[in-house]
Amino acid sequence: MISDQAKKEIDFWVTKYPEGRQSSAVMQALTIVQNENGGSLTGELIQEVADHLQMPTISVQEVATFYENYNHKPVGKHIIRFCHNISCMLNGSDELISYLEEKLEVKTGEVSKDGLVSVKKVECLGACVGGPMCQIGDQYHEHLTPSKLDNILDNLK
Amino acid sequence: MSEIEFEIDGKLVTANQGDSIISIADREGIDVPRFCYHKKLSVAANCRMCLVDVEGVPKAQPACSTPVASGMKIHTRNDKAKSAQKAVMEFLLINHPLDCPICDQGGECELQDVAMEYGTDVSKFNLGKRIVADKGIGALIQTDMTRCIHCTRCVRFGAEVAGIVEMGGTGRGEGVKIEPFLTEGIQSELSGNMIDVCPVGALTSKPFRYEARTWQMNAVETIARHDLVGSNIYTQTYRGRVKRVVARDNELVNETWISDRDRFSYEGLNHESRALHPKIKKNNKWQETSWEVALDFAISGLKKNTQNADQLGVLASKNSTLEEYYLMQKLARGFGSDNIDYRLDKADLSIGNTMLSNITLAEMESTDHALIVNSYLRLEQPMINHRIRKATLNGASVNTINNKKFDFNYQTDLEILSSPQKTLLMLQSILKSLHERTKTTVPKYLSKLTVDDSQNKIADDLIAAERPVIILGEHVNSNISSSDIASIISEIAALANAKIANLSLNGNSLSAEKVGFKPSNNGKNAISMFTENTKAFLLMDVDFNYDFIDSKLAADTFNNDDVFVISLNSFEDEITLMNSDVILPLAGFYESSGTHINFDGVAQSFSASVKGPGDSKPGWKIIKVLADILELNGFEYTDSTQVADDALSMSSANNNDLVENNIKETDDSKVAVHWQYSPYAIDGITRKAKALQETPIGKMNDAFISLATAKELKLSEGDLYHGVPVSINETVAEGCVFVHTYQSRKG
Ligand code: SF4
Ligand code: FES
Ligand code: FES
Repeated sequence: MISDQAKKEIDFWVTKYPEGRQSSAVMQALTIVQNENGGSLTGELIQEVADHLQMPTISVQEVATFYENYNHKPVGKHIIRFCHNISCMLNGSDELISYLEEKLEVKTGEVSKDGLVSVKKVECLGACVGGPMCQIGDQYHEHLTPSKLDNILDNLK
Repeated sequence: MSEIEFEIDGKLVTANQGDSIISIADREGIDVPRFCYHKKLSVAANCRMCLVDVEGVPKAQPACSTPVASGMKIHTRNDKAKSAQKAVMEFLLINHPLDCPICDQGGECELQDVAMEYGTDVSKFNLGKRIVADKGIGALIQTDMTRCIHCTRCVRFGAEVAGIVEMGGTGRGEGVKIEPFLTEGIQSELSGNMIDVCPVGALTSKPFRYEARTWQMNAVETIARHDLVGSNIYTQTYRGRVKRVVARDNELVNETWISDRDRFSYEGLNHESRALHPKIKKNNKWQETSWEVALDFAISGLKKNTQNADQLGVLASKNSTLEEYYLMQKLARGFGSDNIDYRLDKADLSIGNTMLSNITLAEMESTDHALIVNSYLRLEQPMINHRIRKATLNGASVNTINNKKFDFNYQTDLEILSSPQKTLLMLQSILKSLHERTKTTVPKYLSKLTVDDSQNKIADDLIAAERPVIILGEHVNSNISSSDIASIISEIAALANAKIANLSLNGNSLSAEKVGFKPSNNGKNAISMFTENTKAFLLMDVDFNYDFIDSKLAADTFNNDDVFVISLNSFEDEITLMNSDVILPLAGFYESSGTHINFDGVAQSFSASVKGPGDSKPGWKIIKVLADILELNGFEYTDSTQVADDALSMSSANNNDLVENNIKETDDSKVAVHWQYSPYAIDGITRKAKALQETPIGKMNDAFISLATAKELKLSEGDLYHGVPVSINETVAEGCVFVHTYQSRKG
């Protein structure tokens, strides 16, 4: 269920667009709803966003599955978004992702047992010059190596 | 629009500004490969298969989305174009499973065709292919989404034509999937067209799955006659059976689309209850026999039971052919009986109830305002609804006056709820409002009526429109004042300068009307036949459970021991066996030649696609032989086209007598019932088509009642009303029960 508070926030974004174009607020709406739900979306929530914005449900689903920043499974407290696009890949992102998977005993897309982290592969984050790189929260971590990763993980609480 | 000149493959041609390259290539007979482009859908330009070379432009351009320009030089087959097309083809095939040998689309697949021409034998791609799990989208459409090439034709068809946004493209890049959000089945009366638009085998017909290969089948041009449109179709037959029905283009009739009813009803032909051999009932026991014996038995029973000719009643369903109607009425009248009727489901059989339409299908889509009265147009006449939907996309407004609110696939403006018993009064108030607004004299009988705001708005909208149309639908048929309603509508239309579309004459009713298949003088009609001493019946394609407005009255009559019943029927269900004395097996839809007269008054003739199963025979032949045995004159036909010629040369039997208008005392205190069959229960063959019955539309089964009326009838949610679960609902008019179901009136 979307809370009234969240609906209010969504409606604030709706006012930013011309009358009748409320569907333009769909991305903000999904973000608000996802945050409220602990970082991921469910079918019901997508349905509710669709109803609230008077959109066909499938159209909301299209947006929600197109962008990597929406999650469709429960996530950990921290999400490690690992870039696996060309520059990062050439600089060894695949190996680093495997390293992460082994160390945390998770597969990409899953949550670690303690619920602390989940790993996600994402497309180019625009920091190619610093590849291989990942994003955790608002922070970019560049020129990654296994030991750098160890360090980062140790500091996650 | 200004004409421009340009060159395509070295040929100088002209076109209008804004035309796309592909449409001109099509016109000129130049083959440009394509997947996502469809002439009736918006341009998506996402498959890139149609790349062509335009001189002076560095890269190849998509022909579907590039408008022609003056002086352009286009090459569709030079090296640059070809190599672009080949490259795209290679990419498209990367993830395609290439499972043509087990694919139903094989042989009629656009991907297969184009790959033959532009593909290579060997793939450079040796990595794993993508596999997509199927969600399933209902009983009519089989999905194999691994074959999908993401052209989005089905998505665009849903959004643009069917008016339902259910399919979409989820995910991104290699992960894109075409799927609906829910999996309960696509909720559209036009969903089957997605099969036709899908260029590959991703969407195919579920009932047809693995039934035959496309190249084994014969395609026969024919006409679907479930509704007033008479959509043009091909029946595809294999070993004497109809295996599939697909749309045939006819811009004036059904464009490129057909309804699901027209597409999937053929399944009923192969139903296990088909009547295969003539049967007679002797000493209450049925025995199979030869045609000769059965016909003699029929005629002698008929003669024995009718001391005078007036004791014969002749009834046919509204889906018979023109030829059948013509010969049957000729037989009855030759025999000396004027007791003829096809209006089995009408409550009001006054002669005046034959208001004719004066607008064409094509004109419907350029109307700017429609008033829909007593119709759930979308399910009743899907292709006519489609025209109105197109009109609304161009800005037309729609008002409705119905027993219940319905789910139209376009915006409606004012939806007035009116129970059947109040509808006449409602229309009279609107008429009065129109008189006031056009400053014409208000007839005396209207003077005491009050007019409310919504009625004024209906009148205003009609007057303000330039090309308004009033649509009267089939819910009016169960109304005891339907003649009066029709005549008030004629008056409203005259005052408002509106056209009329009378859709209460559905199925092939216009053929019946054409040949006067109803009492002309003092004959008995479909109701009085049962109350006034009819001793023998000749019935064509009549379903005893479903067809009669008062099925109990009908059953009691047929069941009477001294009433002799000859049934020409394609099915022998229990009820047919119980009520008949002779069953003459009738060839069904697509098994007999015939003629359907459609909404535009166009007589569309068709030949038989297959022979009827067993000993069944076309209706017109059976009637002809019956007439011969009766030694009637004028039945020297050897071919159904001769019958059609005679029938069509009849001067129209329609006497459009105006009924005297006045305020009738209608009994408001009683609750009125409208029993509306689901669109897949309207005729015998459709009811027996299995896949249709499994769709959400086919499973409709609700008795809608408003809270107040439910209290009055002491019903609560979920109770059974004549076998149909009660749904208490504020979208239905007070004082009426709107039963929407596949179940027969007899519960
Ligand atoms: S299912 Fe068919 S029509 Fe729909 S996108 Fe895929 S290939 Fe195109
Ligand atoms: S490729 Fe990794 S950030 Fe651009
Ligand atoms: S047909 Fe032109 S891009 Fe698909």
